[in-house]
Amino acid sequence: MVRYIINRLIALLITLFIIISIAFCVVRLMPGSVYEMGGDLSQTVIDALNAKYHFNEPIIKQYGYYLENIFFHWDWGNSAKIRPNVPVFEILRDRIPITLEINLISLFGAIPIGMVAGILAAIKKNTIVDHIISFMVVVFISIPSFIFATCLQYFFGFKTGSFPIIYDVSATGTARYASMVLPILALAFDPIARVARYLRAELAETMNSEFMLLAKTKGLTYAQSTVRHGLRNSMVPLANIIIPMFANVLGGSLVVETIFSIPGMGGLMVDSINSSDHMLTVAILVFYSLISLITILIVDLSYGIIDPRVRMGGKK
Amino acid sequence: MDKMNEPILEVKNLRVSFKTYNGKVQAVRGVDFHLNKGETLAIVGESGSGKSVTTKAILGILSKNAIIEEGEILYQGKDLTKFKEKDFYDIRGKEISLIFQDPLSALNPIMKIGKQITEALILKEKMSKQEAKKRALELMKTVGIPQPEVRFNQYPFQFSGGMRQRIVIAIALASNAKIMICDEPTTALDVTIQAKILDEIKEIKEKNDLSVIFITHDLGVVANMADRICVMYAGKIVEVGTSEEIFYSPAHPYTWALLSSMPDLETKDELFSIPGTPPNMIFPPKGDAFAERNQYALEVDFEQEPPFFKLSDTHYAATWLLHPNAPKVEMPDILKNRIARLRREEAESIG
Repeated sequence: MVRYIINRLIALLITLFIIISIAFCVVRLMPGSVYEMGGDLSQTVIDALNAKYHFNEPIIKQYGYYLENIFFHWDWGNSAKIRPNVPVFEILRDRIPITLEINLISLFGAIPIGMVAGILAAIKKNTIVDHIISFMVVVFISIPSFIFATCLQYFFGFKTGSFPIIYDVSATGTARYASMVLPILALAFDPIARVARYLRAELAETMNSEFMLLAKTKGLTYAQSTVRHGLRNSMVPLANIIIPMFANVLGGSLVVETIFSIPGMGGLMVDSINSSDHMLTVAILVFYSLISLITILIVDLSYGIIDPRVRMGGKK
Repeated sequence: MDKMNEPILEVKNLRVSFKTYNGKVQAVRGVDFHLNKGETLAIVGESGSGKSVTTKAILGILSKNAIIEEGEILYQGKDLTKFKEKDFYDIRGKEISLIFQDPLSALNPIMKIGKQITEALILKEKMSKQEAKKRALELMKTVGIPQPEVRFNQYPFQFSGGMRQRIVIAIALASNAKIMICDEPTTALDVTIQAKILDEIKEIKEKNDLSVIFITHDLGVVANMADRICVMYAGKIVEVGTSEEIFYSPAHPYTWALLSSMPDLETKDELFSIPGTPPNMIFPPKGDAFAERNQYALEVDFEQEPPFFKLSDTHYAATWLLHPNAPKVEMPDILKNRIARLRREEAESIG
């Protein structure tokens, strides 16, 4: 198992390196350069800046400098436009916590709710309960999160005033969490629906399997056989959809953060691209990739915990 | 053999149908049989003849679209067809247990073998974990699993097909059921394992004083196992008798056909196969369901269902051929020769 984890970590680093390379090149190939004429900078200053940051050299050399700085100085470059001369790493450090907080809470809050809904729908299959849940699932999956965000803002923020309309940066404690409720909700609908839909299908299939029948003929009650045999078996494939789901939530978060004016990664990414703040853009891309890679790793490792066939597969 | 005349389970005029989009499938159309204490009753028939449905009805594990139209299943004076799901919790496993057809899919793939054997004991019999484990290890030894202590903590994927079927049998034995239903327990296994499993079932049956219902489509499997045999066709029992009576003096043309299509070491000619296919059970035929495929069918077979004709106290067959007015029909030659040969061999082996 330890060896497997080490293998996976090495693979993760290699993947990350490839992503950094591609991100660096793609961002650098966008039209427009970091320092442009027309602002309040004179040509001399621009030339000096370009020389300082090696922007006047071939892209492959720039890439060399970039890697060298990261590996030997843990220096991801400085921001040029958003917060001039502040190290990119520092900007991310300020922004990442709130984004992660909101995304993870909505995702991990959504999973149990979705599971309950999915289980209900599966064991009450083809009844009114199932139909209602399945209808909600379709609605939640097909409506994008920013629509929910605006609706929530209107009904719970503006009409009833139960929660703040936008995120309150200065608030602390309960007030801070209160202002996080609406964005978390807006992001949670989609994962809830996905988990519910998936678990319903999986569990309904597992319930028809032979080993459920055997559990029944042992004399287990309906609840006992469903919980002990049905559920755990339908969890195995469920772990699989967590990866795309997390990416989905992060994607939705790009827009939702802007709607609730949350000072997180979402807004930063759009801003940095728009203002050609290349160093910042690359760093943000790397961050998002790293999150996805770590999610995949965790899911793969969790397979081993849930499914003995994976755990024991390696050792003969 | 005398104590055997005490029925432990009685099925009376059982009718089961399934609601489907195409119509109502009449899977079981009035089945009567009884299981005597300590005997092995085999139910034989081809796929779709309703044998599995009958046993599922006994355990109350029919699928949701099944309807028990009429009939009674009497166990200890209680009618199981009237039972609610909850009432079955005390019957399944404890009184009547079931061995499945396919051991490969019958075990939960991600639960340890030991836990699968013990869970009913712990949950239902309120045994302690140690007690249950002790019992499970005993059971595993009984069904012939080497190194039970090691195997106890393994998962189904670490077992071969035959081993898994043994585990399924151990699970069926766990709660000391009085009746064991074996639903084609060896169909999914290869022939060498088949023989071993059959021997084990037989041995366990003797040891634990079980009554066994043995379902199969393979008469060869039945020959060494069963005390009595019911032959089913199209949701009905067409012939019932002791093993001896079914094999040596079969009376129903369907039983003839089944026996003639069974290969043995002496078979030299092309093997007999029953022409045609079983009838569509959404529209079961009016007369004898087998008439279409029966080379000995009389005109009356297409008009009216034959009643049971008594051949002996234990032997009944539902065919018009046994009617006093029916023309005299002999069983096919291939069968006659075989029976004569078997009789001769038997006489030689005794003498």
